[in-house]
Amino acid sequence: MVEIYNFVVGPLAWVGWGIFVVGIIYKLIYMYSLARAKDYSSLDYMSLPFSLRSIFVWSIPFYATNWKRNPAMTVATFLFHICLIAVPVFLLAHVVLWQKFFGITWATLPDQAADYMTLAVIAACVFFGVRRATDLRARYVTSYKDWLILILVASPFVTGFLAYHQIFNYKFMIILHIVSGLAWLALIPFTRLSHMFLGLFTRAYAGSEFGKVRHVKDW
Amino acid sequence: MSKKPMILILAAAAVLLFLLPAFSQEDIKQLADPAFGQAQRPAAVFDHDAHNEKAAIDGCLPCHHQGVEEGRFVEGDPVKCADCHEVKTAEGTPLMLAYHKQCEDCHLEKKKGPVTCGECHKRP
Amino acid sequence: MGAVEYGIQNRKVDDIGLIQGAARLTPERIQKTIQKVLAGETGAKLKAYSEICVRCGLCAEACHFYMSHDGDPSYSPVGKVKQTMWVMLDKKGKVSPEFIYQAAQVAYTECNLCKRCVQYCPFGIDTAYIMLVVRRICHLLGVIPQYIQDTAHSHASTMNQMWVKDDEWIDALQWQEDEARDEIPNLRIPLEKEGAEIMYSVIGPEPKFRTQLIMQAAVLMNEAGMDWTMPATTGWDNSDMAMYTGDNEIMARLKRDHFECAQRLKVKRIVMGECGHAFRSIYDMGNRALAWRMHPVPVVHALEFYWELLRDGKLKVAKPFEKTVTLHDPCNVIRGRGLHEKAREVVRAFCPNFIEMIPNREHNYCCSAGGGVINCGPPFKNVRVQGNRVKAEQLKATGAEVCISPCHNCHGGLEDIIHGYKLGMELKFLIDIIYECMEKPNAAE
Repeated sequence: MVEIYNFVVGPLAWVGWGIFVVGIIYKLIYMYSLARAKDYSSLDYMSLPFSLRSIFVWSIPFYATNWKRNPAMTVATFLFHICLIAVPVFLLAHVVLWQKFFGITWATLPDQAADYMTLAVIAACVFFGVRRATDLRARYVTSYKDWLILILVASPFVTGFLAYHQIFNYKFMIILHIVSGLAWLALIPFTRLSHMFLGLFTRAYAGSEFGKVRHVKDW
Repeated sequence: MSKKPMILILAAAAVLLFLLPAFSQEDIKQLADPAFGQAQRPAAVFDHDAHNEKAAIDGCLPCHHQGVEEGRFVEGDPVKCADCHEVKTAEGTPLMLAYHKQCEDCHLEKKKGPVTCGECHKRP
Repeated sequence: MGAVEYGIQNRKVDDIGLIQGAARLTPERIQKTIQKVLAGETGAKLKAYSEICVRCGLCAEACHFYMSHDGDPSYSPVGKVKQTMWVMLDKKGKVSPEFIYQAAQVAYTECNLCKRCVQYCPFGIDTAYIMLVVRRICHLLGVIPQYIQDTAHSHASTMNQMWVKDDEWIDALQWQEDEARDEIPNLRIPLEKEGAEIMYSVIGPEPKFRTQLIMQAAVLMNEAGMDWTMPATTGWDNSDMAMYTGDNEIMARLKRDHFECAQRLKVKRIVMGECGHAFRSIYDMGNRALAWRMHPVPVVHALEFYWELLRDGKLKVAKPFEKTVTLHDPCNVIRGRGLHEKAREVVRAFCPNFIEMIPNREHNYCCSAGGGVINCGPPFKNVRVQGNRVKAEQLKATGAEVCISPCHNCHGGLEDIIHGYKLGMELKFLIDIIYECMEKPNAAE
C-alpha cells in the first residue's frame, strides 16, 4: 500500500499535474501562434473590455437569453461547474496534502459541505447523462467520446465520495480516486475538457466581435 | 468502629491515584485532540501500546519531543502536542500538520502503517 | 440512435450545380482540397470550436430551421456542423462525392449564416463561420447550387451580380431619373460627379428588378439636398454573392472595385441602399479579405443614413403612415452592426402604429433567405419557406398590416413566407414608406 501510495502521490502526481500545467501552457501558445498565423483577421478585433464583459455576463446564471430558456440545464451547469472546481480546491483533505508537501494552505470547506457539493457534481453528471440520452438536441450530436468524458469527469467525484465514506474497499478506492483525478487533470488540455481554458478565449472573441464590431449584445 | 476499613479505602484511593495515568496510558486507542474543537473527520485510530510494540519503539522519541537540536528531536516530557503546536500558527508546525507528519513520515520511511486519510480516520 | 435517422440524406434536393459538381469529384481531389483548406485557410478558431464544443445542443433553439421542423435535431446549428465539418475533420478529408453533395446542401441552403446561434452558445461558437469554411471547400470542389454560382460568375465577369451590362446600368439610372422627374421636375441622378460628398451604391438586383428603389433613393437624396453621385463604371454594385459561395478571391476583387470606385470619385463616403449582405461584405467579410480592418472609405447603411437625415432635419415627415406596421430586423445590419434603435427611431417617426415582433432586435429570427440561400434559386425555395414556419408565426402574432423589411434578401424571403403561409401582409422597404410620407419641397404641384 505504501509503495502504491508513494507512487501515485509521487511520480504519477508529478506526471499528471505536469501534463495538466505544461499541456495548458503549450496549448495556449500553440493556439495563439496559430491564430496569429491564420486568424489574424479575427485576432485583430479582440478587445479586453468586451471580452471581459462577455465572460462576466455569461457567468451569471439566468442572465443570458439562453440560460433563461433552459432553466434545468442552467441550474445543473452552474452547480456542476462551481462544485467541480470548489470541492477539489478547497477540500480539507486536499489542502492537508498541499500543506504537507509544499507547506502552503488556504481556506477549506467544511467536510459536510464538500460532501453535499460532491453529491451535487454527481447528480449533475447523472442529469447530463440522462439529458444526453434523451434530449434529441444533445443525443443527435453525441459520440462515444462524450460519454467517456462524462465518466472521466464523474469518476474522481464518485471514487472520492466512496472513499470519504469508506464504502467498499477503502484502500482500493482512494488509489482509484487519486489516479482518476490525475487522469482527469492530464486529459484536460487534450480533450473537450479544454473548454476550461479555451472556452474563455472563444467567449472573449465572440464578445469582442459582437461588442466592438457589431455593437450588439452577445447574450 | 475500626480504622482498618478507612485505611484500606485511603490506600486503595492512593493506588488508584498513582495508577490512573498508567491506566489511561493503556487506554489510548485514538488520537482525539480536544484542541481542534469540532473535528471534521473521525479521530485517528491509534493504539499506543500495540503500535509501539509492533513498531518496536522503546523510548518516547520521536513522538514525544521537545524542540529540535542539530536537526534531531530532543527527548522531552510526554506533554500534549497541543502544548507547543498551535492549531493555527504562522510559525512552526501547526498542530494538524504535526500529527500528520509525525505518523505519515515515519510510515512512509518504514514503508509500514497507514498513509492515506481513511486508513487512520476510520469511520465507525 | 433512435428509430428515425435524422439528417440531410432524407431530404436531398436535385440541383444541377450540385449533381454535376459532385459527379466530377474523385476521392483524391476531395481529400486534397479539404486538407488544403484546413491547413492553409483555417487555424485556431476552427480548431478551438471543434474541440471545445461540448455537444450540449443548446444552440438548437437559436435556429429558425430547427424551430420550424418540430425538433428535428439535424437542423440545429451543431447538427449541421456534425453532418459537415466534424466528418471532414474526423476523416481528414477522406469523404465521398455524395458526402460533399450533402454537405454543400446543408451549408448553402440550410444555414443563413445569420449568427443568431453565436448568441445562444455559452462558448460563443460561430457556427456561421464553420458553415462558411464548408462552403469554401465546396466552392473549391465546384459543388455549388447552380443559381448562386451563376451570380458568382456574373460577379466575376461583369463585377455585378445580375449580368447587368455597362450601358444597361446607365440606362436604368436614366430611366429612373426620368420616372422621378414626373414628380420632382428638377431631379437629376448625378453620374460620375467627382468630389461629391456621397457615392450612392446599390445591389445588382436594383437596376434589374427593383428599379423603383433607385428612383425613391434619388428623390430622397434630392429632397434632402444631398451632394451625391452614382458611378457609371463597375463598382456601382455593392452586392457580393461570391462571399456566400466561398469564392473569397472574387469577394475581395468586388470589394476592392467598390472601394476604388468611391476613391476614384473622391467622395467623402459611400451610402448604400437597404441591403444586408452587401453591408456584411463591406463591413465584415470583404474588408477583411482585403486586409482592411474597416472599410477604407466611410460607409453608411441606408438605415443609419435615414436616421441622420431625420436627426439633421433634412428629412421631414409630411404625413404619418397610418397602417399598423412591424419591423423585421435583418441580421447583417442589426446583429451585424447594431442599427436596431436607429431603425426604430425612423420607423416610429413615420409610423405611429408600430408593433414590435417578438423576439426582436438582435434576437430576431432570420428571414431564411439571407446568406445566399434565396440565391440558390427555385430548387430550394421550399427549403427556406418550410424552414421558416417560426417566422410566419412571429409575423402573424404581430397582427400588423405591413411588415417593413429593410434588406433585399429578407424582403425576398419574407415575401415567400407571407405568400406561403397566407399571412395577407404587405411588405415594404423602409424607403417605400419614407418616399410615400416625406416632405418633398421640390415636388411639382
